[in-house]
Amino acid sequence: MTAIDLSIRAAAAEIELIGVTKSYDAKNTIIPAIDVTLRPGEFTVVLGPSGCGKSTLLQMIAGLERVSGGRIVIGGREVQDLEPKHRGCAMVFQNYALYPHMTVAENMAYSLKVAGVSKSERAERVATVAKMLGLADYLTRKPSQLSGGQRQRVAIGRAIIREPGVLLFDEPLSNLDAQLRHDMRVELAELHRRIGATSVFVTHDQVEAMTLADRILILNKGHIEQFDTPKAIYHHPASVFVAKFIGSPPMNILEVEGDGSVLRLADGQVVANYSGTGKFQLGIRPEDIAVNEGGSIKTEIRYREDLGSHEILETKIAEQNLRIAMPFGVEIDTTRTLSLSFPQARLHLFDGDTGRAIANAFGGAQPASVKEYQ
Amino acid sequence: MSSESSLFSHRWLPALLLAPLMLLIVLFFYVPVFQAFYWSFFLEQPFGGGSEFVGLQNFQRVLSDPEFWGATGRTVIFMLTASSLAVIVPLMLAVAADRKIGMSYPARNILVWPKGIAGASIGVVFAFIFNPFVGLMAPLNSLFPGLWNPGIDGTDAFVTLVAAHVWSGIPFNFVILLAGLRSIPPTMYQAAAMDGAGPWRRIFDVQLPLIMPQLFLTFVLEFTESITSVFALIDTITGGGPGGSTTLLVYKIYVDGFRGFDLSGASTQTAILMVFVLLLAACQFFFLGRRINYER
Repeated sequence: MTAIDLSIRAAAAEIELIGVTKSYDAKNTIIPAIDVTLRPGEFTVVLGPSGCGKSTLLQMIAGLERVSGGRIVIGGREVQDLEPKHRGCAMVFQNYALYPHMTVAENMAYSLKVAGVSKSERAERVATVAKMLGLADYLTRKPSQLSGGQRQRVAIGRAIIREPGVLLFDEPLSNLDAQLRHDMRVELAELHRRIGATSVFVTHDQVEAMTLADRILILNKGHIEQFDTPKAIYHHPASVFVAKFIGSPPMNILEVEGDGSVLRLADGQVVANYSGTGKFQLGIRPEDIAVNEGGSIKTEIRYREDLGSHEILETKIAEQNLRIAMPFGVEIDTTRTLSLSFPQARLHLFDGDTGRAIANAFGGAQPASVKEYQ
Repeated sequence: MSSESSLFSHRWLPALLLAPLMLLIVLFFYVPVFQAFYWSFFLEQPFGGGSEFVGLQNFQRVLSDPEFWGATGRTVIFMLTASSLAVIVPLMLAVAADRKIGMSYPARNILVWPKGIAGASIGVVFAFIFNPFVGLMAPLNSLFPGLWNPGIDGTDAFVTLVAAHVWSGIPFNFVILLAGLRSIPPTMYQAAAMDGAGPWRRIFDVQLPLIMPQLFLTFVLEFTESITSVFALIDTITGGGPGGSTTLLVYKIYVDGFRGFDLSGASTQTAILMVFVLLLAACQFFFLGRRINYER
């Protein structure tokens, strides 16, 4: 992949989901109602735990699942009742779904063959895509003779050969080993930059989401928890769910109670100043906790995990787990009581009942774009 | 392999475990086969009492008999029509039952039931179903007298035989082919749908190529089985008639040997039939088997 080849370039289409719902019967509602607009050429990662409806959402866009209600508009066209082939989408599947009886070239050219494209043009397009993906030497091989990474490339080649306006990815990297996953991530990002199709990428891997996405759509039980840039989602999670889902190790969430001036843990320790009253959930990332002699919050170390570049300390305060990430080289006396402080600007406050973020709770820069997805 | 051989470290234990099955195969397959080939070179007395080596005379006699060639011709026609239909009909049923259409679940179940019926019973049932006076065709016969009568018309009798054979072959072939179809990952169809292939196109471009191993298996078994297993159907439905029009080779061997007491002639025909079946299977493996893609 030396010279940049722009002969495969899609006319990116906008995707609009308007009140899209999916339910199998009265009791089994997968997606209650989703309203979202994906901008043309945008790379959206749909992130969520298994069973949150993310794959269903993708299949409804593709036309492999019928919508129970609502409208899907792709490139200004209502497509929810159209066959997959009329929607201008292409898809990359988790298990590649290559045709085992066809060669690499035949696999990639199949959609063109079905569409009645001439043999010479098919060969030309296959050659272009194969060159782009580094598959030129493998065109006559069968999928069984390829490695996992090569198969994934063929699956991607098959998807982009028609220059679709929309590219859909259903957990395409989860069958690869860690090193290959990283390499493919880099390749996918570059490919997206070159092709420019509106891409929807479904995954449960937050690293894939953070690195690939223009915007991440976090789905929980069919609801959109947050739809924003990776940065905004990391720094200003809109709910406890998002806060716990993003970050490794995830954000600490502590049950606190406000008395009108400060927030206290169950054991009475004061953790922050806040004017509200009632139950709250206080979030702080493990790497944001300051360990210093002057800290007023006391805790004991229960366990330490040395990860080389940094160290994770497992502690407990007021019967609640608290993880602290220590940078490399900081010596900690594990036998002594730790003194901590929570920098006010790094704290996140969530409603005790709904788990939604409370904006500007501590006067810092708080989410401005939480509701931007509407 | 090493793990298997270490599981049975004794040299004689595998042989001992194999012995009962080997005994059965030798007693009921290899000995009769050898006997048939042996007898085909001798003139056997019908009620025992010595035999005479006659060289290739038996073969000369059989091969110059027009009835043998008639029976062979009918066998080949039956093999081509009945066994093809006995794969194609279950294939259509399996493709239909594989789709998520109404009744496909009960159909998958019901279609296997005929497996439990013996060939002779099927013959008796079909003799009734295709009876010109009380069977399915009776109303048509009353409209067009003489349209259907397998008791008089050889073609009608042959069609009855083919129908009975195809019907009795449905369960096994249906199960094999449906199992093949069910093992195709659903994402394969989704990928084909995304590539723009409609349901019919998917059948020919995805489903059929992917169940080639199963199709090959059913075809090989059907081709060889249709020649031999039809005996029970002939015996119960037509008795070889009318006028020998349904006397296939396997039935002729039985009639010659056990009714005509021509043991040598029957053995010779058996030997010829066996070589024919063997060559047929070999050809199938040679020309088709190597082109089958077993990869998934």
